[in-house]
Amino acid sequence: MKRIATLIAVAVVLLAGAPAIAQQKITVGVSLPQDDNPFYIALRRGIDGRAKELGWDVIYVSSQEDKQKQINGVQDMIARGVKGILISPIDATAVNAAYDAAAAAKLPIISVARASTSPNQTLHVAMDEKQIGRDVANWTINAVGGKGKVALLAGPAGSPTFKNVLDGYTEVMAKNRGMSVVFNQFGALSRERGLKQAEDALVANPDLVAIYAANDDIALGASQAVASAGKKGKVVITGMNGVPPGLRGVKDGAIGLTVELNPVTWGRLGVDVLAGYLKGEKYKQQVFIKHVLVDAKNVDTVLPK
Amino acid sequence: MNKDSFVRQIPLITLLALGAAIALATDRFLTPLNLTNVLVQASVITVVAMGMTFVILGGGFDLSVGSTVALSGCVAAAAMMKAGIAAGVAAGVGVGALVGLVNGLVVTVLGVNPFIATLGSMVMVRGIVYLFTGSEQVPLDGTLPKPFLDFGVERFLGVHYLVWLPAVLLVALSWVLAKTPYGRGVYATGGGREAAFLSGIHVDRVITSTYVWCGALSGVAGVMLASRLQSGQPTAGEFYELTAIAAVVLGGTALQGGEGKLYKTVIGVFIMVVLGNGMNLLNVSSYWQRVAVGLVIIAAAAADQLRHRR
Repeated sequence: MKRIATLIAVAVVLLAGAPAIAQQKITVGVSLPQDDNPFYIALRRGIDGRAKELGWDVIYVSSQEDKQKQINGVQDMIARGVKGILISPIDATAVNAAYDAAAAAKLPIISVARASTSPNQTLHVAMDEKQIGRDVANWTINAVGGKGKVALLAGPAGSPTFKNVLDGYTEVMAKNRGMSVVFNQFGALSRERGLKQAEDALVANPDLVAIYAANDDIALGASQAVASAGKKGKVVITGMNGVPPGLRGVKDGAIGLTVELNPVTWGRLGVDVLAGYLKGEKYKQQVFIKHVLVDAKNVDTVLPK
Repeated sequence: MNKDSFVRQIPLITLLALGAAIALATDRFLTPLNLTNVLVQASVITVVAMGMTFVILGGGFDLSVGSTVALSGCVAAAAMMKAGIAAGVAAGVGVGALVGLVNGLVVTVLGVNPFIATLGSMVMVRGIVYLFTGSEQVPLDGTLPKPFLDFGVERFLGVHYLVWLPAVLLVALSWVLAKTPYGRGVYATGGGREAAFLSGIHVDRVITSTYVWCGALSGVAGVMLASRLQSGQPTAGEFYELTAIAAVVLGGTALQGGEGKLYKTVIGVFIMVVLGNGMNLLNVSSYWQRVAVGLVIIAAAAADQLRHRR
C-alpha cells in the first residue's frame, strides 16, 4: 500500500512539474560595451522591452569599454546557463574569445551594432555603416552647395564602427572636387571634446563650412563653438545617433543633421532575431536595421513627445 | 641672472618658447579669437590644478579630482533645476568639498597612502555620478537657468567671466598661502611632517584641509564646466587628474611637497593647453598628440627629479 502511494505521489509531482519544465523560462545574456552612452542605454531599453513581452529573463554584464571584462562577463553568462547571447563587442577582434566560449557551449551569439571578425559570430544585426557615412556626406554636400572646407571630429580611434562610417563619408568627400577636409581628429564621444576641437578647427579655418561629428554629443559641443564664434547658420554640423538631445539640437537649428539609428527598435530587433534563431529560422549573415536621416524637414516626426 | 634663478624660470621660458614656435608655424595662433579660446579652455583645468597644488604642497596627492568635477557639475545642475542658481552652485561646491573631506580623513585618520586613497575615491565617485545621473546628462529635458548659461559665454571688460574666476582665485589663494599662518602651516607640513608637528602645527588638520580645498576647487571647476557645456555631464573631467598633476610638475612645484607656488602651476597649465591648441591648429594627428603629451609629462617629471634632488 505504502509503495503504491509513493508511486502515485511521485507520478503526481512529475506530472505537475512537467508543464513547468516544458515552459522553463528562457534566459539570455546581453553584453554591451558601455553603460553611460545614451545610444546603448536606449538599445538596452529596446532589448528589455521585447524580452519582457516574450517572457524572457535577461542577464546583463557591464564592461565599460574594458575588453577583458567583456570576455569574462560572457563566460559568466554561459556558466549561468543562458540560452543565447546578444553582444555588442567593444572591439572587432579583441573579444573573439567571448565568441569562442559561446561556440564551445553551442550557444548562439549574435552581434548587435558593433561586429566581430570571429567566425563563431552567429549573426550580425547591423546598421549599414559605410552607407550611413555616404548618406551623411551627400546630405552635407547638398547643404553647403558642393564647395568648402570640412572638419572631421571622428570617433574613438580603434572603433571599427566609427571608422566604417567615417570611411563612407570620406569616400564621398574625396570624389567631390569642391570639398576639402582640413581638420581630422579622433577623440572621445563627449561634448567637452566637441567644443574644444571645434573651437580650434574654427580658428585654424575661419572659412569652414561643415563639421562632421561622430555622434550627437560631439555635435552639440561643436554647435556651442560655432555659436560663440558667431557662425550659427554658416557652418553645418552633422551628428549621429538621434538621441533626444541631438533631435532637439536639430529642431533648434544647432545641428543640421543627425542619423536616427533607432536604438530602441534595434534592441527589439536583436531579441526578435535571437528568438527566431532559437526556433530554427534562417537568416542572412547580416540583418540590417534601417537608418533614418533626420534634418529640419522631418525632425518633428521623430521628436519624442 | 645666476644658474639657480634661471632654472626656476624654465617653465615660463618653456611656455614662451612654445608659443613662439607655434606662432611661427601658423598665423592663426596669435589671433584674438584663438588667444581668447586658449584662456577659456584653460580656465576650468586651472582651478582644478590650483586645488591639486594645495594638496601637493601639503605633501599629498589627489587622483579623484576629475570624478569630483563630474559629480559637482551634475549635482549643481540637478539642484539648480529644482532650487535656483545659488542653491545649485552651493550644492556643487559643497559636494566637492565633501569628497575632499572624505579623502582627507581617509589619509589622516585611517592612514591610507594618498595615492591609493584617492585612487579609490576616484573610481567610487565616478560610480556615484553614474548612479546619480543614470548615465545621462543633467538636465535631460529642458535647459539650465539663463543667467547661469550666460556666465559661461559672456564677458566683463572684454574678458570672459570664466577667465576672471580663476584669476581672482589665483590672487586670493596665493595671498592665503603666502601671507597667513595657515598657509605657512601648509608649507611646513609638506616640507617635513615631524618638524611641523613638533613646532605645534596640527598636521592632520592641515593635511585634511588641503584635501578639502582641492575638493572644493574641483567643485568650483565642475560648476564652471556645467556652465560651459550648458549641462552636467557624467563623463566630464576625464584625465583631469593627470593634466593637473602634469601642470603642477611642469610649473616647477616639487611633487614631494613643501615648496611651490600657485602661479607656477598656472604656467604649467598653459604649457599643456597651448601645446594641445597648437597641435590642433596644425592638425597634428591624434596619435602623435598623445605621444607628445606623454613625452612632455615624462620630461617634466624627470626635470623635477633633477631639480629637487637633495
